[in-house]
Amino acid sequence: MTLLLWTLLVPLVTGALAVLPGPRWLREARLVAGLAVTLVLSVATAGKFLAGSAPSAFDETLRVDGLSALVLVLSAFVGLMSGMYSVGYLRRNEERRRGPYVPRENERRAPRPSDQRRLVPPWRRREFDALVPLYVFAMLLVAVSNNLGILWIAVELTTLVSVFMVAFHNRDTSLEAAWKFLVLGSLGLAFALLGTVLLFASGRGLLGDGMSGLHWTRLMSLAHELHPFTLKLGVVFALIGYGTKAGLAPMHTWKPDAYREAPSPAGVLMAVGMLNGALYCLLRIHLIAKAALGPDFSGGLLLMLGLLSVAVATPFILIQWNLKRLLAYSSIEHVGIMAVGLGLGGEAATFGALLHMTYHTFAKPLAFFSAGTLAQLHRSSDFDDIGSGTLGRTPVASALFVLAAVMMTGSPPFGMFFSEMTILRAGFLGPHVVAVPFFLACLVLLFCGFFYQVGRLVLGEQPDSTARPPDPERFDVGTTTTILAAVVAVVSAFYLPQGLLELIRAAVRVVEGGQ
Amino acid sequence: MSSDDVVILCAAGMLVTAYLMVGQKALFVAIRLYGLQSILLGAVALTMGFADRRFHLLTGAALTIALKGVLIPWFLMRVIDRIGIHREIEPLVNVPSSLLICLGLTVIGYRVSTGLADGGRGVTHHVIGVSLSMLLMGLFMMVTRRKAVTQILALLTVENAVFLVALGATSGMPLVVELGISFDVILAVLVLGILVHRIAERFESMDVSRLSKLKG
Repeated sequence: MTLLLWTLLVPLVTGALAVLPGPRWLREARLVAGLAVTLVLSVATAGKFLAGSAPSAFDETLRVDGLSALVLVLSAFVGLMSGMYSVGYLRRNEERRRGPYVPRENERRAPRPSDQRRLVPPWRRREFDALVPLYVFAMLLVAVSNNLGILWIAVELTTLVSVFMVAFHNRDTSLEAAWKFLVLGSLGLAFALLGTVLLFASGRGLLGDGMSGLHWTRLMSLAHELHPFTLKLGVVFALIGYGTKAGLAPMHTWKPDAYREAPSPAGVLMAVGMLNGALYCLLRIHLIAKAALGPDFSGGLLLMLGLLSVAVATPFILIQWNLKRLLAYSSIEHVGIMAVGLGLGGEAATFGALLHMTYHTFAKPLAFFSAGTLAQLHRSSDFDDIGSGTLGRTPVASALFVLAAVMMTGSPPFGMFFSEMTILRAGFLGPHVVAVPFFLACLVLLFCGFFYQVGRLVLGEQPDSTARPPDPERFDVGTTTTILAAVVAVVSAFYLPQGLLELIRAAVRVVEGGQ
Repeated sequence: MSSDDVVILCAAGMLVTAYLMVGQKALFVAIRLYGLQSILLGAVALTMGFADRRFHLLTGAALTIALKGVLIPWFLMRVIDRIGIHREIEPLVNVPSSLLICLGLTVIGYRVSTGLADGGRGVTHHVIGVSLSMLLMGLFMMVTRRKAVTQILALLTVENAVFLVALGATSGMPLVVELGISFDVILAVLVLGILVHRIAERFESMDVSRLSKLKG
């Protein structure tokens, strides 16, 4: 068995083991240990790639190049963070019980005993312990599959797993969010599948019948022979399809709902893992189109979708009423920024986009964990329920959230400031005289909007004494993990390991050189 | 009757089932129509597989007939039986205008198909034309229907259309990929069914237009 296969197998086994009974500490240790081993194996795989050999398996169906290696490491990192935070998060939720049942309008229903049961019953806990490693497995499979068919299957797998995560708390709103997410996601994936089929069809039989006919490397080597119209149609469908998964506007509408309803550890998997994975798919499709039709066709589409996402996020951040939805719109902004960088093209902009992806991956867990902790302590993620002036009541979580906000808005001296500047600089040097200033204006507005919301939440007057006080802050596993996430985010902003920079450069070479 | 005629006949049959689904309000009829559509899809794959001696298509065909023609309809029937809702309420666009719009969509589908490689002539033209029209009709059903099960059926129609494109425009996807995709579709339907069940349990309805709390 090669290293690559072990990397995929470990999370799968971890997920399967979660159904076994056992004391709670054992199950938690199993989860975290499995994910930690996965991260180590992923880093080892990437290291093997950097050392000069390209790991592959099953006749190049799985293949690691620079881009794969980068996404592989980032996904495994997020998986571990999410697994660690889920321990603390679920412990807190297990202690809570459901609130009194509030009937909807025009509803007649006798209260049921189940309304008073635990918020997270033990079997649901076990379900979650299985879902997280399964999700990590699917993300890693996305990163290393060289076959467009397997890629699609892996993305579909992430969708199916995350539906259960979104519906986790089984509230009315969770079901609504899960339904919207599944229907929109499946539709997007049907489009992506059609795109894949059309890409295959554009080969007009040259690609061959076997498995290798859908290999990305094979499509790239035959790029000039592909039928242009079929290819264009396929690229459009695939970009829309995978764009839905990435949450690019105008296919982003599932995102705020799903992020609000998903438990925070699952939210970060979706906000970073799914986003990176879907962006990776977009990039693979973009590269085929670039090799066959030149950079303008799919690059222009990516630029347009990216600008639209940044523009759509702006007003919604300004009027936002919920903490987790705020993060969702911020995530739409960031995927927009990355798409703009990739759409602009050229070495500098691509480097900026991939650097942004890396910094975003390191900073986002802090944002989700601190927001999740705030929401848990205040028993709601709606601004009205939390009330202003949280810094006085829950100082640690609030301070960590402010730190996260500083990073997420791309303020200096943190990483995303530099990646955004790199993209902007490349943009201003290019031919897009309208698009880039517009992009900059949106970024400035988003910065102001986000800080307006954070200021309203964290500072401001304390609510009067009749309001229910939040739970006291404790230094439990959840808080510790959040502080750890803060340390990782701050350190990575000033010091990226040499190996990671090498990976980003290798990924840029894949995008720019097409190899 | 040559094999090409059989293929065109089956493809046309699929388009007819799609039209009937648009004009249909009883859910169980719509589910049976979907089953019929999938069996016709399987027949297209069978005919192509035998005629061109591409035997890997046969596995895919058998799978399509067994899973999409029998298993999924049976499962969806069980779902509507369990929750006891049998009719679609008045769709957002009424049936006659829906049918007219679908006629327009068919024209668009056929027009686009002429641009594809070998799309302008013969069997390929018809198969791709039919599948693209079905795709557009599925999308149309998706946005105008309100019952959760009808939305699932619309989604599955889109899925069938994609498979028909795969048959018409290529010599069928590689077998492993096709197996994986079919497996994923089954999983998706199961998950959708579970969700419909949970929604019906909590909302005592499966009218998805009631799912409208989350905004902004």
